[in-house]
Amino acid sequence: MSESGGPDVTQELRLPWDDDPEDLYEHAPCGYLTTLPDGTVVRVNETFLTWTGYERAELVGHRRFRDLLTPGCQIYHETHYAPLLTMQSEVHEIALDVVCADGSRVPVLVNSVLERAAGGAPRVIRTMVFNATERRSYENELLLARNNAEASDKRVQVLQQIVADLAAAPTEAEVAEAVVRAPQPAFQATSASIYLTDADRDELVAVASTDPTTGNWDDMPRGSARAVAEVARRGDLHVVHNLAEAAEHFPDLAATMTRSGRKTVVLLPLTTGPAEDQAGVTVLGVLAFSFTEERRLSDGELRVIRLLGQQAGQALDRARLYDDLRRREERAEFLAATTRALDEEHRLLQRSRRLVERVAPSIADWAGVRLHVGSAGLREDAGGPPPDPDLLADRIAEATAAVKPVFATDGDPLGCTVLPLTARGRVLGTLAVRMAADRRGVDAERAFLVDLADRAGLALENARLYEQERAIAQSLQRSLLAADVPGNDPRFTVETYYQAGGQDLEVGGDWFDAFLITPSKLAVVVGDVVGRGLEAASTMGQLRSAIRALATGENGPARLLEGLDRFCQRVESARMATVVYAEVDLEANELVYACAGHLPPLLHQPAGAAEFLMHARSGPLGSRAADLRRTEHRVSLGPGSRLLLYTDGLIERRDRPIDRGFEVLNRTFSRLRGAPMKGLTAGLADTLVGREHADDVCLLCLTLGAEERLERSLGADPLQITLLRSDLRAWLLGHQVDQNCLNAVLLACSEAVANAIEHGYRNDPFGVVDVSATLTGDAVEIRVADRGSWRGPGESRGRGLTLIEECMDEVLFDRGEGTTVTMRRHRGDAA
Amino acid sequence: MTERRTTDRIPTDQWVTFSKHGVAETVHLKGEIDLANANDIGRAIVARTTLADAVLIDLTAVSFLDSAGVRLLDLIVGELDERGKPIRLVVGERGAARMTLQLCAFRNDLFAIDLDHAAEELGP
Repeated sequence: MSESGGPDVTQELRLPWDDDPEDLYEHAPCGYLTTLPDGTVVRVNETFLTWTGYERAELVGHRRFRDLLTPGCQIYHETHYAPLLTMQSEVHEIALDVVCADGSRVPVLVNSVLERAAGGAPRVIRTMVFNATERRSYENELLLARNNAEASDKRVQVLQQIVADLAAAPTEAEVAEAVVRAPQPAFQATSASIYLTDADRDELVAVASTDPTTGNWDDMPRGSARAVAEVARRGDLHVVHNLAEAAEHFPDLAATMTRSGRKTVVLLPLTTGPAEDQAGVTVLGVLAFSFTEERRLSDGELRVIRLLGQQAGQALDRARLYDDLRRREERAEFLAATTRALDEEHRLLQRSRRLVERVAPSIADWAGVRLHVGSAGLREDAGGPPPDPDLLADRIAEATAAVKPVFATDGDPLGCTVLPLTARGRVLGTLAVRMAADRRGVDAERAFLVDLADRAGLALENARLYEQERAIAQSLQRSLLAADVPGNDPRFTVETYYQAGGQDLEVGGDWFDAFLITPSKLAVVVGDVVGRGLEAASTMGQLRSAIRALATGENGPARLLEGLDRFCQRVESARMATVVYAEVDLEANELVYACAGHLPPLLHQPAGAAEFLMHARSGPLGSRAADLRRTEHRVSLGPGSRLLLYTDGLIERRDRPIDRGFEVLNRTFSRLRGAPMKGLTAGLADTLVGREHADDVCLLCLTLGAEERLERSLGADPLQITLLRSDLRAWLLGHQVDQNCLNAVLLACSEAVANAIEHGYRNDPFGVVDVSATLTGDAVEIRVADRGSWRGPGESRGRGLTLIEECMDEVLFDRGEGTTVTMRRHRGDAA
Repeated sequence: MTERRTTDRIPTDQWVTFSKHGVAETVHLKGEIDLANANDIGRAIVARTTLADAVLIDLTAVSFLDSAGVRLLDLIVGELDERGKPIRLVVGERGAARMTLQLCAFRNDLFAIDLDHAAEELGP
């Protein structure tokens, strides 16, 4: 019964061959073979004979089944088919190849059954053979399709990787690097090279290659006849399949291919823009890759190659935009940082220096500023080597006259761009830069340079104005400080020193002054006005004059400070200035002093250590918060006492607490007790402040009367002799030594010290010469000692010795460890 | 503080200036001439006097002269004597320079008291 419920028709069907089994056997849709256990064919049907083209008589009784197989299948037959059949008595779907009578092969599938006799011995093998030609070719197709799919997959994977790499490549160079690495894994290319379009220079630039030794690895004009340039112009993929094709279309390529052993070359333009519109695309570069074998590329591969060209083109486009953006950002940052850096320097020279040092080497290999200031002008260069001076001068003249930048051009022998530096419509000077020939963005580059010159011009003009004001302030200050400090008075010596702030600060308000109030009363002042620059300098001048006006024989320091407090009511800028003021009675040898917020004076009496004068202290001038009750203090001074007034620049250092500064000052001042008075203040500043003095330093040292005994230690430097003579002269004058004796003693002493320096130390700058001078009754005695090894006078110093002997009444040389010369001369015209 | 190696050349204008007195190249020295500056001053003077037909050296403003200064003057005098050209040292009636030169026993015929007188002596 049919399950569908329809009529059962099978009873009615009579198949036509049912009654002819022989025909069924012969013409069955498969081959039949009956063989003996050893494989000898004993029966075969017509179907098998038709497939294989054998005659029945050729096979039956003459051939074994395995004789009909290919050699490979024969082995398979022996190792698999036969053992299986023996063990299992049957095998199924064994795939074998049968060799036909004409030698061709028919792929077949075989089922066999082994029939055994009653005792179990093999009797006969029945084999059914299916023609598998169709199936095998179908299988092959499947295999091919799978291989193709795999290859395509791999290409897609490679392409995906490349697309990922391209997306991550921020610069043109990195994009090029990613693209040039693609053809080897994707298409099994032997090598690849990439050329990028440089629109500004109208060139194709070779930027990367997996094997730069092959190919014609040169930049070329875009109009070149070379294959790469041609493909870039056409904007379409070119596959040069073999040498013959290359020779026909691109002779240069054929030559390269022959040289590097390449058979097939692919030239792929890297494009951006609409893919379907050939005219609308922009070619940003060309990827060339090649094969050592002739290579047919499938349609699928060509599609992938085109896709690669578009992807790479887009990535290049993006990288170029990104490059531009980044370059713009860098430039903006550079400009901002340069403006900041210039602001840090106030002086014109330093600012100019800063400018050229910012420019070279950051954006140029050489940069130079020329400013029309002063009589000689100002010039600062950085980087190198310097350009041809004549060509540069011409270009500077051109840019200055036209008030316009003159840009360097390709092939320019000078290679420098010169930009006028202008401010308020005036050409202040020029900035010249020599930059590496930039590959792109010429307009952007020019705009940037103009921007830089604008900023630099303004910054330098400001520095020039600053410089002007500073010069005025300085000359004002200098004129005030240089004014007549009394000298040539045997009763006292004043030594002053002023050192401007080292880090190009504006002039400070530090000052010193010394003047005689009455013939026997000397005033000494050191003060410090708040603030810097022109205003501080003029306030300092006003205060200085006010002090001179207020100092009278009767007033005294405390009254004088009160007067200054009143002065501050009217001169606001003088408020909070600090002052130390002292009056010295030259007859009574007495010091009266007062300190208005100023650092304490340092006094070194002939006996004992130096000490700070800590009395009579009150607040700065005009202070509202500090104690303004002005007091004064008296100290009597021994002859030869030294008093030091100074400003805070001398002891204040960032790396040292102030109390330590006081300590160092005290120690140094005490140690310099033996140093000549002349140059003492400069020496103090040098020792205490050194090179990195940020602040102004102002010093005044007063030596009172003549020391009983003059003792000095000098460095072995001829310049020191001059300083010593100054002290010795003052000392001799202080002791009323007559002029002839004085001149003779000065000469003899100078000659003796010169001897010690030249012959004792042979100009060793670390040698020390000790000099002492004493008055014994009616004579002057000088002793000059060195610790050098004396070699006896040369001809030149022979005269020096003669002079010593002529000048002095007694001369004694003592040569032990070093040499000591002791000389005496009677006061009066004895010699 | 000034630091200076003795080999450096320093400007000598503060110690030496020049003028013409008739045919005589006149050298005016001023201040202290000693070991520290004599060489530099010597160079400046020799540059002006090598070809001079007569030389006057005015030492009246010199406040100190040591043996290095004496050596320098000795050299210049010797050189002019050799060329047979006249030279006078104007030393005034007293002063440090005169003292030193007399102590060194310079020839009396070299000394002159004042500049005009000396110039007349050397005149054509």
